[in-house]
Amino acid sequence: MHKDEYVIETDKLAKTYPGGIKAVKGIDMKIQRGQIYGFLGPNGAGKTTTIKMLSTSIKPTSGTARVMGYDISKDSMKVRKVIGVVPQDLTTDEDLKGIENMELVGRFYDIPPRESRKKAEELLDLVDLTEFGNKYVSTYSGGMRKRLELIVGLIHNPKVLFLDEPTLGLDVQTRTKMWEYIRKVKEEFGMTIVLTSHYLEEVDELADIISIIDHGQIVVTGTPEELKNSLQGDIIEATFSDSMQSKKFGEYSKSVDVTYPKENVVRMKVKDSDMEVPHIMKYMSDNNLSPIRFSISKPSLDQVFLDYTGREIREEEAGDTRKAQMNMRRLRK
Amino acid sequence: MSGLLPLTGRELKKWYRNMVFFITGLLQPIFWIALFGSAFDIAKFLPHSALENTFGTTSYITFIIGGVLTSTSLFTALFSGTSIIFDRRLGNMARFLVSPIHRSSIVFAKVLSTTVRILVQAVILIGVAFIIPNGLILSNGISLLGIFIITAALIMVAFSFSSIFSIIAIRLKRQETIFGIINLINLPLLFASYALFPPSFMPAWLRNVAAYNPVSWSSQAIRNVILNGTLTGSVLNSTLEYMLYLLLLTIFMLVLVYFVSEKEIRD
Repeated sequence: MHKDEYVIETDKLAKTYPGGIKAVKGIDMKIQRGQIYGFLGPNGAGKTTTIKMLSTSIKPTSGTARVMGYDISKDSMKVRKVIGVVPQDLTTDEDLKGIENMELVGRFYDIPPRESRKKAEELLDLVDLTEFGNKYVSTYSGGMRKRLELIVGLIHNPKVLFLDEPTLGLDVQTRTKMWEYIRKVKEEFGMTIVLTSHYLEEVDELADIISIIDHGQIVVTGTPEELKNSLQGDIIEATFSDSMQSKKFGEYSKSVDVTYPKENVVRMKVKDSDMEVPHIMKYMSDNNLSPIRFSISKPSLDQVFLDYTGREIREEEAGDTRKAQMNMRRLRK
Repeated sequence: MSGLLPLTGRELKKWYRNMVFFITGLLQPIFWIALFGSAFDIAKFLPHSALENTFGTTSYITFIIGGVLTSTSLFTALFSGTSIIFDRRLGNMARFLVSPIHRSSIVFAKVLSTTVRILVQAVILIGVAFIIPNGLILSNGISLLGIFIITAALIMVAFSFSSIFSIIAIRLKRQETIFGIINLINLPLLFASYALFPPSFMPAWLRNVAAYNPVSWSSQAIRNVILNGTLTGSVLNSTLEYMLYLLLLTIFMLVLVYFVSEKEIRD
């Protein structure tokens, strides 16, 4: 083992696909041991391409990366031995039983059959699939298949686990359950996890460090808290019935950042809404202002994303419906 | 080569577990020999002496068994590439590519499992050829060398053709493409060969084409064994010559598969 302090380190890692699509335009990142590192970004941002390069299934066009100290291009076989991958698409064989799928993968790593079987049983137990281990994967539900995918990538005790959109196409309840399993895996094996997602809640919930990625580049990196704090403040939004009132409200204070997203709508960015709201209330009653709508929002990753990329991630998901549906169809099959 | 045995095991498991696929695979050669051998039984129309002169036997099934064995092998091998495309489309390939196995073992597993399937088919086919009326007669017996030649010829046909079609499939995303190619070339490969008729039946141009067809090499080598029992003199030489061509083709294809798949296989 290399004694690098970082489990993953990239240097201007880039990928241009044949046909000229620049999927990843030079990514520099460092991932520490034991972290859950979340890649957040809309579809087409370059998340999957980055994961595929780091997990050696495609080669970068330029730049380098090391995983556990091994160069992904020169030592790809060594990299494969120490990583576990749960790709975005389902990879298990429907014509085999759950446990057979795991044993097959175990043999890829030259794990002795007996050891492989024991480990497979442990892992099936971990994700509550024990009673389905001897059933054909074709009989699994979508959620069960995703759980199987998760543990197939763990049979050889990897040091780093890549999870590419682990909950894509799952319903909300199943997704929450999946998060639990991912946390359990982290606790049990203490590995470093690299996770991609376009669900804000998911990275917020799971990741220690987040990189927001857009158009093939990392826009910002930090802990969820840091990113939220970087917005510097809460948002107060008030809607009035006429422009007289809204204008008056906008003159509340010179030290507060005021915008007018719509006519008669005032948005204020305040450092700490808990402290500011009493003053605002007083100002409104002194000036006879009566809003029809009044809201206070603490920063969310949604806003962080909006702030750094200039668009809401939700907008992106619309175009993604078709892909999600296709995935669901395959999951149900 | 890491990954080769587990992946081959996977293929075979999928084969014998899929009962319809398994049984149709075994019935296909029986149909070949029983239907084709009887329907095209030219022996009914020709006097025995003429048959002896052109076919070397009075039983048409004895004459074509080498051709039928070879073409069964060919038809099974042509389809081995398609499962590479399905592995890609069903996502299994993504798992193989991130596992510490040689990429060529993904393709060699297809080739190897296809070969095993073909050998099982061949045994059944020969068994059926013996028991049907007017079937296979080994009038000159058979030697150990003969059995070796039959087995080796079939293995080499299986290896070569499944390699060619696996290479075609390595970058393909759509199975329709490969089905199209298979449909286009399977019958020309069969009919432009010595599989069903002796060279003397063919027009000169076809005979020249057939001389370069690996299906001819295997059919003729097996036929020499079946008709002559013990090989001697010029028959032995021509048989060894066909086997040498097959061997060279097989080696060439195996090397090609290795390099192409290590470099080109994609998710």
